[in-house]
Amino acid sequence: MAQYIIKRLLYMIPTVIGISIVSFFVISLPPGDFVDRMVSERQQAGETITAEEEEGFRAIYGLDQPLPVQYFKWVSDVVLRGEFGYSFRWNRPVEELIWQRLALTFFLSLTTLAFIWIVAIPIGIYSAVRQYSLGDYVVTFLGFIGLATPSFLIALVLLYISFKYFGQSVGGLFSPQYIDAPWSIEKFLDLLSHLWIPMIILGTSGTASLIRTLRANLLDELRRPYVTTARTKGLPEYWLLIKYPLRHALNPFVSSLNHVFVGLVSGEAIVAIVLNLQTTGPLLLDALRTQDMYLAGSFILLLSLLTVIGTLFSDLLLAWVDPRIRFR
Amino acid sequence: MVVRRFFVVAVALLLLMTLAPATLLGQDTVVCEAYNEAPELAEQVAAGTLPPIEERLPVNPRVVEPAEEIGQYGGAFYDLYDGGRLAEFRQFGYENLVRWNPAGDEVVPNIAESWEISDDATTYTFHLREGLKWSDGELFTADDILFWWEHVETNEEIYPTGPYAYFVVGGEPATVTKIDDLTVEFKFSRPHGLFLQLLSAPYGVRVTQFAEHYLSQFSKKLNPDGVAEMMAADGATEYGPWWIGRVGSYGHDAEYNDPARPSLQPWIPTEPFRGKERFSFVRNPYYFKIDSACNQLPYINERVFSLATDPEVALLKTLDGEDSLSNDGISTPTNRAVFFDNLETGNYRFVDAISSNFQTMRMHMKFNHPDAVQAEILQNKDFRIGLSHALDRQTIIDTVYIGQGIPFQDGPRPESPLYNEQLSTQYLEYNVDLANQHLDMVLPEKDAEGFRLRPDGERFTFTVLANQDFRPEWIDILQFYERYWEEVGVDTTIFPASNDIWRTRKDEPDIDAFVWVGENALGYQPFLDNNTFTPEFGDGWQVWANENYGLGYGDLGGASAVEPPAPLKRQYELYTLLTQAVTLDEQVAIFKELLQISADEFYSIGLSLPAGEYFVVRNDVRNVPEPLIRGWYYPGPGPVNFETFFIDQSAS
Repeated sequence: MAQYIIKRLLYMIPTVIGISIVSFFVISLPPGDFVDRMVSERQQAGETITAEEEEGFRAIYGLDQPLPVQYFKWVSDVVLRGEFGYSFRWNRPVEELIWQRLALTFFLSLTTLAFIWIVAIPIGIYSAVRQYSLGDYVVTFLGFIGLATPSFLIALVLLYISFKYFGQSVGGLFSPQYIDAPWSIEKFLDLLSHLWIPMIILGTSGTASLIRTLRANLLDELRRPYVTTARTKGLPEYWLLIKYPLRHALNPFVSSLNHVFVGLVSGEAIVAIVLNLQTTGPLLLDALRTQDMYLAGSFILLLSLLTVIGTLFSDLLLAWVDPRIRFR
Repeated sequence: MVVRRFFVVAVALLLLMTLAPATLLGQDTVVCEAYNEAPELAEQVAAGTLPPIEERLPVNPRVVEPAEEIGQYGGAFYDLYDGGRLAEFRQFGYENLVRWNPAGDEVVPNIAESWEISDDATTYTFHLREGLKWSDGELFTADDILFWWEHVETNEEIYPTGPYAYFVVGGEPATVTKIDDLTVEFKFSRPHGLFLQLLSAPYGVRVTQFAEHYLSQFSKKLNPDGVAEMMAADGATEYGPWWIGRVGSYGHDAEYNDPARPSLQPWIPTEPFRGKERFSFVRNPYYFKIDSACNQLPYINERVFSLATDPEVALLKTLDGEDSLSNDGISTPTNRAVFFDNLETGNYRFVDAISSNFQTMRMHMKFNHPDAVQAEILQNKDFRIGLSHALDRQTIIDTVYIGQGIPFQDGPRPESPLYNEQLSTQYLEYNVDLANQHLDMVLPEKDAEGFRLRPDGERFTFTVLANQDFRPEWIDILQFYERYWEEVGVDTTIFPASNDIWRTRKDEPDIDAFVWVGENALGYQPFLDNNTFTPEFGDGWQVWANENYGLGYGDLGGASAVEPPAPLKRQYELYTLLTQAVTLDEQVAIFKELLQISADEFYSIGLSLPAGEYFVVRNDVRNVPEPLIRGWYYPGPGPVNFETFFIDQSAS
């Protein structure tokens, strides 16, 4: 087991390096560079930029160097000094920008995951146990609607309802007075009170698929002989349900943990942009669009690192949950 | 179409201003026995933490007349910012050395109290205000301007390509000398007749942004060890980018991120704002302006900024009344209906605006197209005349702009003294026969489907690129164009490009034309931009102009020089002569000749004059003049004196 873990960790290194190279070069693929975006922005505000000034900007940002040189400069900074470079757009070191956002993204994803599980598991169980009942159909129907509607559309609708009928200050994870206040119980509660919108939006599509999966798996398990055995032994129905078939049925949940997590971290980008949340999505999209090389590259590097670690973690978790799995 | 009376008066006033004798333009004529200040400041004075008002104001404070009435102290002004440039100049504060008056027809004193210009317009001598102080109480002197010149503007690590174009004439930068503590001289090697107007434009603020006593610690030359330490602490290796991120000049968000940095603006930061969603700027106790009743400005206590990166969120917040004065990109003609619906819930009002823009959609041909046959067709004037006559502009205006605006070809706005009737009204008639007549002179052959053929036998195609994010209605308009032009046999294709790629995309060989707005055309603003009325998409010609006349055109997509035809050469020559003209009369005469050539050559095809512009202002904000002027060289609405706005507490 330990050998397996070490092997996996060693594989992670070339994977992450490969991702960093690919992402860095892909970011620079669109025609033009950051200076082009910046000049375009200024032109729209009415300014005229001369050819010399443009060259001046390029010189300052080091964008007149060939791409491999820029890449090596960045990678050596990351590896040797743990610094992720400089953001052109925001004019400060990348670290200042990303850590808090990563933390909030992480938190949002975890709570959404918890939300999905808390909602999906009981409903899935109910759906399986009361198969073809009215409740089953209603719940399935709602689940599919949540799955079919794009998340940003739900976000826009909730945003509008929130504005029109509740007069809530729209956008953001915090009320204005808590935004930059130091952490406290009130701030945390305020965060929770704002969190429910993105949590529900992101959770709806996830719950639908998990409900159906759980329902299908549980139905399979419920027909097995050991369930009948347990019933004849006199175990109460719900206890029996949770102790035996549910554990089997949860297998795919755990193995898909990573997939769901990745989906949350990246899928939340659209919702976060619409709702003006302080998570990684809007900042990453902005960095990609303006070709803010180091910010975008660092983001992708960190997110892919999270993914790779998450994969390893979910594999280990699965092995722990299901003793039938052996490592090769 | 509205004719502004004051632009006629402007001729006389600008004439007065650009001639030699010292001009004190009668602004500072109020004599005060005692000054009044905001209650919060008075408290601090009583507690001994702030010097009394007489010591904080200069000997001759600048007197500003409010638009409506003397205001009350107090209240907050709310702003939305999109995460880009904070305190966008045009909506925040406008403290250049000299500045435009609200009407935009004369340059008036600001930080400088008065000035003299030499007879040949090579030497400008500015007299600063005695006793004018930075926000930390230190005096503003000529040393600050010298510091800016020696350690910022001419610092190659910060500006690798040299000082900004306003300070360079004939390829040579100015010589800036301190005559005494309150007098600074700018000397140029050639006449620089437009210097004052340029100083009044946004980039002119650089002159007065740098407090020597505080910022010298960030200069590598003056404090090498300290700078090295700071750079190491911030993890920076290059001085230029670090300085831009730590200190910053106009256009960099760092300029307001350091609360310890002295400022001359009416409101100053109290904490670093970067990374914050909501923050305030508070009143500058040393602000040097008073109203005509001897009250120290500004009236408003604080400016509260909220971050709203997404335009839809910003729109929602403005509808909710969370923005005291709407941002430029939010109060657009397309959003007018939505704002109207929410007038009561948002508690705001409409304020009319005039744009400095002269054209809603201006089509520029790629005159130096790499395909020689295509280039010849595009350069042919009859081709453009034909296309222009084929357009039913009134229908487009009625459909897309809901009837707002009139058909307009090109040239300065009718309100401007530089208006050229021929340039603005030629070829506007919707006449398909006339269109066909002109097009037949250029592309007489047609194929079986009725589309015109090039001289080499292939079908002529015309592809137009439009930035769909900047002005989404252009795509709608171009669909009309496509239909009208196909009726006269021109196979047209529209290429909508997103904001991110349009600029590099237009240089690809398949694009024949692109569209943009026409800007900077009120009053004498056309003098200040040397590219508006010469071909904007003739990259080869512009490269030639850079090489032969040093005109500094940018955004040229790596083109190589192409010699322009004689009339255009004359125009480039005229632009150079314009910058050396000394009197307003000379400048006007040169420019009129230039415009006449543009009229005769007919470079761009236009649609309509912009109209129906507006801002949305919260009902509790008063002293907002109407109409507000939008622009760049006139950084509208900045010159309307934000420091005189006040919050009517009863209307909040």
